[in-house]
Amino acid sequence: MWFYELGAILLVLIAVTIVGNLWFHTVESLLERFKGLFSRRKAPPAWHELEQEQEERDNDRH
Amino acid sequence: MGFFSKLFRGPEIDMEKSSANAQKMRRLFNQVVENGDRYKLICGYTEDVSRFNYGFVHGSKTKIGNLIVGWNEAEEVIVVVPTVPDLSGCGDPAWYRRSEILKAYRNKYPTDAFVICPDRKGYLAINAYDWLEDEKLYVYVSQEQELADFTAFFTERFAKK
Repeated sequence: MWFYELGAILLVLIAVTIVGNLWFHTVESLLERFKGLFSRRKAPPAWHELEQEQEERDNDRH
Repeated sequence: MGFFSKLFRGPEIDMEKSSANAQKMRRLFNQVVENGDRYKLICGYTEDVSRFNYGFVHGSKTKIGNLIVGWNEAEEVIVVVPTVPDLSGCGDPAWYRRSEILKAYRNKYPTDAFVICPDRKGYLAINAYDWLEDEKLYVYVSQEQELADFTAFFTERFAKK
């Protein structure tokens, strides 16, 4: 009988984990969308590549 | 005997890789900061933890931003350059002059971090480290002396209430 109880507890824990993950990702995506509303007009952040690596990449292309 | 002594010694630092990355750090920093050689450098990271006050999976998703932190003792300036663990590139530098910032302090809890508040709105928490093994997340560099120097500079010269 304890075997079934153990199985039931395990199932509950799995369900809690799945619901928890779904909840987390739902809130995350909503937050991202909400933030996106305010950052549409912002210019993308500047990025500078390490000069030597860029040169090597250019040389590979030629 | 050899196996156990290796086991108990823990992970060993690849000094060749570390010094190569230290050089890359310097090149990258000097590329975006004028007179970059006047700054001492240390690598740190920052975590976006503000969003973890909800949900079941508290703390299971941490965003880490790597930073090259340069400091000039004489001018009491800290320059922070965002980068990536492989140091293939970096973003624009941000300057924090002691005379211009609102406050700066060393935080011990929840993590040991150097916090700079440029104004009332924002803050930057820099987690500095001597060495971290996980090179997928952090810049692989051994910087024990730099950490001691930066800690001394920040707490004795830069901290501001």
